[in-house]
Amino acid sequence: MRPSWLSTALGVAASTFLAVFFLLPLAVILARSVGDGSALTQVATNPFYWQRLGFTTGQALLSTALTVALGLPGALLFARYDFAGKRFLTAAFTIPFVMPTVVAGIGFLALFGPRGLTGLNLRDTLALILLAHVFYNYAIVVRVVGGFLEGAAPRLLEAASTLGADAWRSTLRVSLPLALPALLASATLVFLFCFTSFGVILILAPSPHLATLEVEIYRLTAHLLELGHAAVLVVAQLVVVGLVTWLYTRMQARLAVALPARAEALPRPRGRSRVLLGVNLLVAGALILSPLGALAVQALEGPGGSFPSLANLVGAARPANVLGLASLGLALRNSLLFATTSTVIALIVGFAFAYAVARGRWRVLDQLSLLPLATSPVTLGFGYLLAFPLLVTHPWGIPLAHALIAFPFVARSLLPALRGLDPALAAAATTLGAGPGRVLWRVELPQLGSSLLTAASFAFAVSMGEFGATLLLVRPDYATLPVAIFDRLGRPGPQHYGAAMALALVLMVVTGAVMALLQRRGRSEF
Amino acid sequence: MSLRLNELRKHYGATRAVDGVTLELGERETLALLGPSGCGKSTLLRLVAGLETPDAGRIALDDADITALPPQRRRFGMVFQDYALFPHLNVARNVAFGLVELGWPRRDQEARVAELLELVGLEGLEDRRVQQLSGGQQQRVALARALAPRPEVLLLDEPLSNLDQTLREALKDELHGLLSSLPVRAIYVTHDQSEAFAIARRVAIMREGRITQVGTREEVLERPGSAWLARFLGHRNLYDGSALQRVPGAPHADTVLLRADMVTLRVAGQAVDVPADVATTSGTVRRARRDGLRWQLELALPDWSLALAWEGFARELEGAPREGTELHVEVPRAAWVTLEER
Repeated sequence: MRPSWLSTALGVAASTFLAVFFLLPLAVILARSVGDGSALTQVATNPFYWQRLGFTTGQALLSTALTVALGLPGALLFARYDFAGKRFLTAAFTIPFVMPTVVAGIGFLALFGPRGLTGLNLRDTLALILLAHVFYNYAIVVRVVGGFLEGAAPRLLEAASTLGADAWRSTLRVSLPLALPALLASATLVFLFCFTSFGVILILAPSPHLATLEVEIYRLTAHLLELGHAAVLVVAQLVVVGLVTWLYTRMQARLAVALPARAEALPRPRGRSRVLLGVNLLVAGALILSPLGALAVQALEGPGGSFPSLANLVGAARPANVLGLASLGLALRNSLLFATTSTVIALIVGFAFAYAVARGRWRVLDQLSLLPLATSPVTLGFGYLLAFPLLVTHPWGIPLAHALIAFPFVARSLLPALRGLDPALAAAATTLGAGPGRVLWRVELPQLGSSLLTAASFAFAVSMGEFGATLLLVRPDYATLPVAIFDRLGRPGPQHYGAAMALALVLMVVTGAVMALLQRRGRSEF
Repeated sequence: MSLRLNELRKHYGATRAVDGVTLELGERETLALLGPSGCGKSTLLRLVAGLETPDAGRIALDDADITALPPQRRRFGMVFQDYALFPHLNVARNVAFGLVELGWPRRDQEARVAELLELVGLEGLEDRRVQQLSGGQQQRVALARALAPRPEVLLLDEPLSNLDQTLREALKDELHGLLSSLPVRAIYVTHDQSEAFAIARRVAIMREGRITQVGTREEVLERPGSAWLARFLGHRNLYDGSALQRVPGAPHADTVLLRADMVTLRVAGQAVDVPADVATTSGTVRRARRDGLRWQLELALPDWSLALAWEGFARELEGAPREGTELHVEVPRAAWVTLEER
């Protein structure tokens, strides 16, 4: 079909938005980092910054290795066998991935913090960082690798078994080679998430020698006001992330094997596989459910150990006091307001973008939609501060940043849905006298219902949990739930700790409810 | 020396996919397992392969019980409906897959792969990726891969159903030639009767999880045991026995089949001598239709109060019949087949 004026207009609108609110801030950071020559030399000659880069890379590699070590057997077993409760577990394992970093951080603090349930204090240790990263990313490996294999491997494994290969041999000769591209893909994603890890580290390991580049950028910007140094670190981080992404796309193209996607009945595990699966599920289940459970327990613990008690919730709900902490009501109101605003913005921009790519001549834009994904939230917040200094006195920076962070998710779930629409329907509507605008309104939008809902709940959840950009752009009167939680953690006293737990519980429940809606309806590329 | 299935059963919930099947497959024999989709024939094949475990019953190979043996230790080759070629391996490595499991040295593997690719007519394609092959070529690779480790039994699950009509016709004869020349037992599952009769001399018909009849193609085609099978095979003249009281030579039974392929039509009014065991009557054409080169007629036989469906070539008719044309109908006694079940 010929591209319509509508696709051109939407394409222009979407690109303008991305140029102003994404590319411009990045350009300003870049200019700042090279414009001030002294900052570059100061950073390059300071061994502390090199240590940060080394530590960031090292912990990300370790986290990735551990995640793969636990996730790969899980993925292979998930793809191979059917068992009671599999659907439930698949959904449960995704919980950490969609939980705000602050909730994950608080959950591990509730287990292994100075006031943790286990009594074992691991705060400020690498071990706790690794644990939290594995918790966060296990689902990525299982879903990406397992989902990839589950589509086609069952029949191939049967073929292998009729040719004499037992379970172990067919895993080695069929599953693993087939899964390699998916494994590399998921490992790269895990590496990138851990490399730019922020909230988890800020909460679980605040000591400077465990800071990632992302945390260091935040510290330089918010506490030390060394904006030049921060800009150099942002560029360094972007270079590493860009390089890894580029390597990944090249490997992906070389290794990709097209598998016929089809749903097939899977056998039940027997013998040794059954034991293996049981152990894997037990470890993963414990890792994933215990922090969230511990958080809930500590949130509902009253003074003197009474349980359950609403004391913490009541404490958190008390109106803002002299300490300048946002109350539960204010933080929840701000969070919901920002989440709604940013969802609307992300949906409008994401839809304009997807429509322009799917219907018009905007193919080049397609790859651009993933770029914000490779740009860390702190970078975005920092860029906004540099590019639009006025935003500091205005609440609009937060929903704009949130919308931009959610944009790739929205675009990626709307794009396949739009492409999947039957073009004959639009053509039919045109022959019946509808222009492109009317076709969009009367034919296309009604068919996109479930994808729009998916995109909206994704955007909403992203905004509810967003931490890095918000922390840089926030002022006390528009603190969100994650910010209110973080602020309380920094204060001494058990009442603040308890209130932080209660706030985290609220955030966990709200996000969980939104994602439950997502799980039930529609699907996306993620 | 044979493969024996004894009272095999496999249920999925309330569905009896395989409901007490007993079958025997002799040395070097090819047996076709024919049935409509959903009759359980693929499940039965998977039970034989060891990909499914039966709920009850026994599978024995040369008197050894292999019911509990996992598929990788049965040494049964299988050709899957969608071929299930390994997308990460080239043609040669696909064919050699089972040889690697047997621990063959590389040199022997290569020799065997070359031998099989020659057998299926794919010489020179060793290094191709399997995705680059046409459907027919993929089918041949799948066959070569299954045959390479010299399987005890070859199992084929609708191997031609994903190919287009022309290719299917060609491969049908080729497969028949190949299977009868190789010293291998085979079970060939299909829902297509022409495939079944072209490939195997002995055919087992399966319906709702049970084997309803086993026999040579002549036995099955000419003496179907049930009304259902007669209809499944394309017979159209089935009668309730009570409706045949005025028909000379018709057997007395509940359900009777008239084989239209043995009925002769002539122009009415011609005086022809007929043998004593041939009954004659007159018929009126109710409907005449040409389906390609074949005529399909529906006749009313008023003297017998019967309707008859007939099909055949123009040479078997004199002139083009039309609605209302009177014809002389000859029915030999042997055209009547008594059906045991409905």
